[in-house]
Amino acid sequence: MNRTLEHILPRVQKPARYTGGEYNAVVKDRRSVDVRYALCFPDTYEIGMSNLGMRILYGVMNEMEGVWCERVFAPWLDMEEEMRREGILLYGLESGDAISDFDLIGFSLGYEMAYTNVLNMLDLAGLPLRSEERCDLAPIVVAGGTCAYNPEPLAPFVDLFVLGEGEEVSQDIIHLYRKARDEYWTKEEFLAAAAQIPGVYVPSLYEVTYGPDGTLASVTPLEEAPAVVTKRIVQDFSHSYFPVKTIVPSTEIVHDRVMLELFRGCIRGCRFCQAGYAYRPVRARDPEILIQQGIEACKDSGYQEMTMSSLSTSDYRPLEHLCDGLLEWCEPNKVSLSLPSLRADNFSLGLMERVQHVRKSGLTFAPEAGTQRLRDAINKNLTEEEILRSCRTAFSGGWSSVKLYFMLGLPTETDEDVLGIADLAEKVYQAWKETTPNPKRGVTITVSTAWFVPKPHTAFQWEPQISMEEYQRRVKLLRDHMRGRSIRYNWHDSQTSFLEAVFARGDRKVAEVIETAWRSGAKFDAWSEGFDFDRWLEAFSACGVNPAFYANRVRDKDERFPWDVTSVGVSRQFLWRERERAYAASTTPDCRTQCSGCGANHFCPGGKCDA
Amino acid sequence: MHRLAFSKADTAKFISHLDLMRTFQRSFLRAGIAIKHTEGFNPHAFVSIPLPLSVGFSSSCEVLECQVLDTPLDQVPARMNAALPAGITVQRCYEGTRPVKELGFVNYIVTMEYEAGAPYGTESAIRDLLAQKSLVMEKRSKKAKSGKVEVDLIPLIRQATVEERRDTIALDLILKAQNPGLNPELIMAAIRQHCPDASPDYVSYHRRAVLDENLQLWE
Repeated sequence: MNRTLEHILPRVQKPARYTGGEYNAVVKDRRSVDVRYALCFPDTYEIGMSNLGMRILYGVMNEMEGVWCERVFAPWLDMEEEMRREGILLYGLESGDAISDFDLIGFSLGYEMAYTNVLNMLDLAGLPLRSEERCDLAPIVVAGGTCAYNPEPLAPFVDLFVLGEGEEVSQDIIHLYRKARDEYWTKEEFLAAAAQIPGVYVPSLYEVTYGPDGTLASVTPLEEAPAVVTKRIVQDFSHSYFPVKTIVPSTEIVHDRVMLELFRGCIRGCRFCQAGYAYRPVRARDPEILIQQGIEACKDSGYQEMTMSSLSTSDYRPLEHLCDGLLEWCEPNKVSLSLPSLRADNFSLGLMERVQHVRKSGLTFAPEAGTQRLRDAINKNLTEEEILRSCRTAFSGGWSSVKLYFMLGLPTETDEDVLGIADLAEKVYQAWKETTPNPKRGVTITVSTAWFVPKPHTAFQWEPQISMEEYQRRVKLLRDHMRGRSIRYNWHDSQTSFLEAVFARGDRKVAEVIETAWRSGAKFDAWSEGFDFDRWLEAFSACGVNPAFYANRVRDKDERFPWDVTSVGVSRQFLWRERERAYAASTTPDCRTQCSGCGANHFCPGGKCDA
Repeated sequence: MHRLAFSKADTAKFISHLDLMRTFQRSFLRAGIAIKHTEGFNPHAFVSIPLPLSVGFSSSCEVLECQVLDTPLDQVPARMNAALPAGITVQRCYEGTRPVKELGFVNYIVTMEYEAGAPYGTESAIRDLLAQKSLVMEKRSKKAKSGKVEVDLIPLIRQATVEERRDTIALDLILKAQNPGLNPELIMAAIRQHCPDASPDYVSYHRRAVLDENLQLWE
């Protein structure tokens, strides 16, 4: 271990985050590799190590001959201070080598509030922030993940964005990079060639102009770059890479367990949900493969907990069979199995009982809206009766804590819808009173509301976010109507949700604001320790950018959006149709019941998707 | 009760006590070594480490207690070492005979580093400080109301030698292990407080041996 590092680690919190050396961390001989890749997550170790995508890409790249992929996380504030004082550059956890000497630096972008951490990490690596200021071929700065579906707020800083699933395209990029290096290409030559790889968006190859009203006027691709970059997906999900051998952190992380991914995509079509649209089409993994992978991953890691993760786990067709197969091994081996994200409508108590027979932890439902009308408008096809029936079954089975998640500020929401949340909570309480076998134990009903953030590539991409004052009024309205000691109400902080709304649909002008805010100290904006709203307001005004233009403006049907240069395979016409149906409070059946013609089927062989 | 003698070095120095217990529990599973579990609602592997080591300290004499169920003890070190993270090495697995309460003293090597060499007189200043009749320091305490408690270090120091090398000063300390024990960081704090000129740029701590009341190796 580096001596300077050894000197500073005793002074920082949770130093085990900065040492590497975990079980299954991949250490290669520097002399036996010709491509060094820094896989960066712009948040802490505990969060980044909980991300399945990071583990998949780490495994995929390290399986490549001659490639050494290392992990890099954002050092916490105290560590950053020490690193800057001692002149330690951001380093890969496996080798301890400075990533500025690596060939490629890839960022995983999961949420907008991590953008300043991307800049901060580039700076900690000793690299210029802007793509144009990094003239050499190496390192190439890559970014992918959900936020890359609107890459524009980070366009000046990133050399190339990867859209969609990274398993295959990451390898394509590495192959091209090798060729470029061996043939002494310039960075510009490499980027122009990279733009021809399906799923790769090179922002510097697009000239952007704005109209007098501030909206996008034109986007001109250069060097034969494609006008629209379509995301990549893994076709054969059953046989795509799964990290059976995966790093077991030596310190506690957020999701410290084996994660099984049952399927990608979602059949539901909730109109606010970016993941629901962006991860289409649905592709399931064979249950026999999952059983085998789950068991092997537990044996290899020593984890005693396994979880099934997917957008809507209960929509996995062979779920019962999968659970049976896993439980057969898990029970005698004292491994507990958990099933997150069950939908209340087909919630099966029997399944829950069998799976979580040890502890009756809380139940979680996400009705998202308080009235049937609004649930129909957002296409959350879940009725009050279904919610209450699930709750009754659960309460009579001995559960005594329920969490209900909602959003405030959804399009078409009225005060009646807001108060509907309080009514629903009250009805859940009544359901408990009627059905619980042990009324003395009491019940905890936790109601949480988030502030709706309109996202690109959704039916609500045209919608304004309601103003902060209006959001706060609705929170207060709801708070005043939440009665009963058994009901707890939490609401999401408004300032970060507002900024999220700005970044989610931001353009290249927002990039200036992000850089300005970072220069005045913004980082770890998803953490109260790092976030300072005033700093952001100052940055907006310094750059002459009005945040409300991005967050609170109603867009025209045909407005050219900054993210139109990317495609998730779902057509704009379909999204507009969904928006109109939302205003008519009319639902769209799930993909299994009936195909609604979103367009994502074109990713499937023969144009037929297996919802 | 079985004991695993292990060392903790390099990156593993920064694994905290609780994380280390969890790491061992998982490593037993990875190694396929069955050990006794706690009874009760949520059974977990029963392991204990008698003298928790401070984060950042290295050690060549750690001990973990557990009950190995059916693996031959001589196979345990190799199988565990293949399953443990970098920096933790099991040397031996044996039947523990001496009770933990006979663990009387700990031998630490404290290395004080000076980028520009130790200032003149540092060695003797430290020696004089540790030769005092009493050396009272304030220590954080969870029990005391004020959150602090005063401790006299001298009765807890059984032996201390100070040796100056090129740009380091090494303290070879034999300190009380428990009831109460003395953490060598408190001695460092005393040096910084009473001999500020002797304050090093960097200190590293190594636990070299655990001893009984007669200063013989405790196993």
